[in-house]
Amino acid sequence: MIGLARDQSAALGLIVICVTVLMAVLAPALAPLDPVKNSLVDRLTPPMWNAGGSAKHPLGTDTLGRDVASRLLYGARVSLIVGLAAVVIAGVLGVGLGLLSGYYRGWADDALMRLGDVQLAFPVLVLAVAVLAVLGASLANVILVLGVTGWITYARIVRGETLSLRQREFVEAARALGATDGYLLWRHILPNVLPPVTVVATFSVARTIIAEASLSFLGLGIPPPAPSWGAMLDEGRNYITTGWWLALFPGVAILLLVLGINLVGDWLRDALDPRMERGM
Amino acid sequence: MRAFLLRRALHAVFVLWGVVTAVFFLVRLTGDPTPFLVDQSATQQEIADARRHLGLDRALHVQYLEFLRSVPRGDFGTSIREKRPAMQMVLEHLWPATVELAAAALLISTGLAIPLGVASATHKNGLVDHASRLASLFLQSMPSFWLGLMLILLFAVELGGLLPAFGSGGVRHLILPAVTLAAAPLAQNVRLIRSGMLEVLQQDYVRTARAKGLAERLVIYRHALRNAAIPVITVTGLSLGFMLSGAVIIETVFSWPGMGRLIVQAVPGRDFPVIQAGVFVFALIFVGLNLIVDLLYTVVDPRVRLT
Amino acid sequence: MIRRSRLLIVASMLTWPLVAAGQQPAAPPRAVDGVAIDPDAELIVALADDTTNMDPRIGMGSIRSNYIRQVFEGLVDVDAQGRPAPGLALSWKPVGELTWEFALRRGVTFHDGEPFNADTVLFNLDRFFRRNLDRWSIKDVLAATQFEKTYSFVTRWEKVDDYTVRIHTSEPAPTLWDFIGREPMVPKAYTVKNGVDGLNDRPVGTGPWKMVEWKRKTSMLFERNDGYWGTHPLFRKMRFQTIPEGAARIAALRAGQVGLIEGVPPFDAPALGQDPRLKVAASPQKLSCRLYVNGRPKDKYDSGGKDGLFSDQRVRLALNLAVNKEAIIKKIFNGYALANASPVASVSYGYAAQEPYPYDPARARTLLADAGFRDTNPLTLQLLFPAKHYGQSFDEMTPAVAEMLKDVGVQVTLKPVDFATLLQTATKGTLPPNGGFAACRTGNNLDADDYLRDWGAIAMINWAPYPPELMALYTATRREVDAQKRLRLLADLQRQVRDWAPVVALYQEVKVYAHSARVLRFTPLPELNMDFRGVAVKK
Repeated sequence: MIGLARDQSAALGLIVICVTVLMAVLAPALAPLDPVKNSLVDRLTPPMWNAGGSAKHPLGTDTLGRDVASRLLYGARVSLIVGLAAVVIAGVLGVGLGLLSGYYRGWADDALMRLGDVQLAFPVLVLAVAVLAVLGASLANVILVLGVTGWITYARIVRGETLSLRQREFVEAARALGATDGYLLWRHILPNVLPPVTVVATFSVARTIIAEASLSFLGLGIPPPAPSWGAMLDEGRNYITTGWWLALFPGVAILLLVLGINLVGDWLRDALDPRMERGM
Repeated sequence: MRAFLLRRALHAVFVLWGVVTAVFFLVRLTGDPTPFLVDQSATQQEIADARRHLGLDRALHVQYLEFLRSVPRGDFGTSIREKRPAMQMVLEHLWPATVELAAAALLISTGLAIPLGVASATHKNGLVDHASRLASLFLQSMPSFWLGLMLILLFAVELGGLLPAFGSGGVRHLILPAVTLAAAPLAQNVRLIRSGMLEVLQQDYVRTARAKGLAERLVIYRHALRNAAIPVITVTGLSLGFMLSGAVIIETVFSWPGMGRLIVQAVPGRDFPVIQAGVFVFALIFVGLNLIVDLLYTVVDPRVRLT
Repeated sequence: MIRRSRLLIVASMLTWPLVAAGQQPAAPPRAVDGVAIDPDAELIVALADDTTNMDPRIGMGSIRSNYIRQVFEGLVDVDAQGRPAPGLALSWKPVGELTWEFALRRGVTFHDGEPFNADTVLFNLDRFFRRNLDRWSIKDVLAATQFEKTYSFVTRWEKVDDYTVRIHTSEPAPTLWDFIGREPMVPKAYTVKNGVDGLNDRPVGTGPWKMVEWKRKTSMLFERNDGYWGTHPLFRKMRFQTIPEGAARIAALRAGQVGLIEGVPPFDAPALGQDPRLKVAASPQKLSCRLYVNGRPKDKYDSGGKDGLFSDQRVRLALNLAVNKEAIIKKIFNGYALANASPVASVSYGYAAQEPYPYDPARARTLLADAGFRDTNPLTLQLLFPAKHYGQSFDEMTPAVAEMLKDVGVQVTLKPVDFATLLQTATKGTLPPNGGFAACRTGNNLDADDYLRDWGAIAMINWAPYPPELMALYTATRREVDAQKRLRLLADLQRQVRDWAPVVALYQEVKVYAHSARVLRFTPLPELNMDFRGVAVKK
């Protein structure tokens, strides 16, 4: 990043993302061992370059004797799936509602914005914790919770853009020519709204991956024995001194993935919508 | 101004009503706290008695109406776990613990951000600039609790207890958790101030001020920063809410006895009164902060009318 | 010839100074075992959690006992081996089949000066059994143990004189000294005057420590009760500090910020033991962890018409044989746990050691096959597992046990739930026919009956009710007043329960403490609480 042009660092970010996706997709082939099967005998073996480590477990094993490298690979799946699915849900929901809200205005718009205000005032983590307590913790429910709580950001941006766009001349002209609302929304407004949405979505994926890790860290995310980088961090936190590899590798994995996504997001923002505030 | 304030006040009341209603029904969906209170070998009858004792056997709308009536008095009931007033418990955890942590983090994340951002902008592409941009990128890409764990590993373990890793009780205890909490917002603010300053420094009025022979420092701090401050205020307002929420994780990692941790721990314990009181306080702070942020806008940018 | 009365007078005059000296508080010693101590020291003890109440009636789990029993005590005390000893009562004995008589200790006062006597005991009994509450005009509290329901055979109580109390029952009650005697006693006048909330916030008891300050979830400060009737702690102040993370407690101990910690993670203990400035101490606890599996008949739970899949004794025994307890104890607890095949904790009164369940997967498979479960019709188990409730080691152990069961052909599905959900499921009886849950059973009382009563009445932890012959034997243990005969009956019952295997026994906890070498004479009790009487801090 030092001395590299913005394009180059974005390319680096893209490479990181692609590698992670490949890791996730090819996990069954790449992973040396079953990530879920536990084996008390092999408990807490260090990575292979340390004393007591072995090539059988290149990055060591965790408290139940499961292979860390395999869990990292499978864990990539969880992070990517949760990140993408939750953002898709939040995006579709938020963009849809934002479009309708900004275009039609009226009491529906007011109600929706009020609902958004109420949801924002509710501490996000408590909401997630409570909803997961009701529904039970599972991959699907975590995606649901993270998705549904994320709609507001998109809705607000899209609403704002829609509000200003609907006044513009090309919309008036199209309407004069007999275009329906649906046509206008789909063909004219939505394409203009997508660039900022894409930028926000990209950063959202990064934030969602961290949010999933946070939930798992609190013990509320994907339930064991499923490998999730956040859950691995939680398991590792009690063994900081005696099992440092448990917390280090998943943390580095999250860091690199999220870094890559943020770099790509920066580039996208410069390309698509330089008006947006930097630093987001 | 008065009309504005009145409208905002009504809006705030509405939001608070929405929040307490949502939390009231949500927690009751999570289940029944009575099994916690009775012996392991309790019979069904004993458990039914316990429910009656807690008032949880009445119809839902009855409980709700009573709840609404007692909220304005500040009465959120008695904690199921600790048998004392729930609001008192929440306030004890809010002050000083959470406020200290949030205030310290706010101080670090804005206080450090201003000189760093300004230095970055004025010496664009210099060492400070590159270093702070790199650091910002990394800090915004890592989970806060991982940063916390690594800091614990470094300061409390490796460096032999240079800084304490747990609990509250003095400035030394506050350093690690506040730094961890401030890290991501600091990074964000630095980038914001930097980009804001960069834009503003190219503006006409700045060139005019420089041409008039004004000292560079005056140019930067009196004119440019003021305009660059607007996005910072927006983001600080939002990030305060985020900080209160994110404090939960930091409080867990560092065993900091704050309000966030209290609420999150009350959920698996099904301690309804505490959850309700805590969420209400949180929402109150959030709504209040938003109002302050709006008011600050008028100070910083007289072009903004409070419509 | 000297008249006898004069002899008596002279004798008492000669012995009176000795008696008086015994009753005065002696000057605190300045050394123990030849080592100089600091009698004004403050010892800081780190615990994993704060207590939620100080009123003993509300409840006394493993954490709360620690706090409450520093300030309060009961009629029956415990020695370092876990055996009953005189506490606030000097002695207790059955009078006939239906009465117990307690002789109370004299000269005991509560921390506020109120005297302890028979009236206090009667007041406390009223509170336990929820009688006459309006007479004392105190509020009822929601108590964890409801005496009037669990011990409904206790009928009335009376004082014989200021220091003798009799308690009457409607059937023989050989364990009354235990379940009544272990309940801490609260002061009558103080509670009536300040109400139960006042008692809870500012507790006043007869114990070796007075509570001075309570910062919720942070710390509790105690000061030595210089008027205490028994062995005094040899330092003046004590602070219980809440530090939830095990690693943080160890760091604090190493840094000298605290003097003693509880709940040492088992794999950190050896390293601590090697530090010359520290000492590690451990003791078995009355905490038994098991898998409870559904062995109820279909009419005793929300069953959908099926008996619990585990009602066949062979199946339950097979599961017990499939678990490699030695491996668990070594690999997960680093040796700090016990395998105990008796349902009763090894430190309880009346415990009789039983033949351990061997680790025999082959025989387990055979037993399962005999019961009709083979490859074509495997046994399934949906195991509810309260994650993050009992501690790190429990969370590691449960999946390991699940894997062992899978190795003998049981298809185990682990379902992590939060503790509230588990309690709710167990209470409402909504376990599925192939359901089970992992949980730990603590005991507040000393007698073996505390554990053996689990399978008597239908309650949330009873998922394999006693068959008639065991029920008869259990009832006999509850009625046998002769202590020796009762111990034999208890031993017989434990042997049969071991064979009948109502639960899958996993391990019994050994609690590990670590302290600075400057703390002298600290012995961990097999009880849930720590005892600091006689403990000193080196200068």
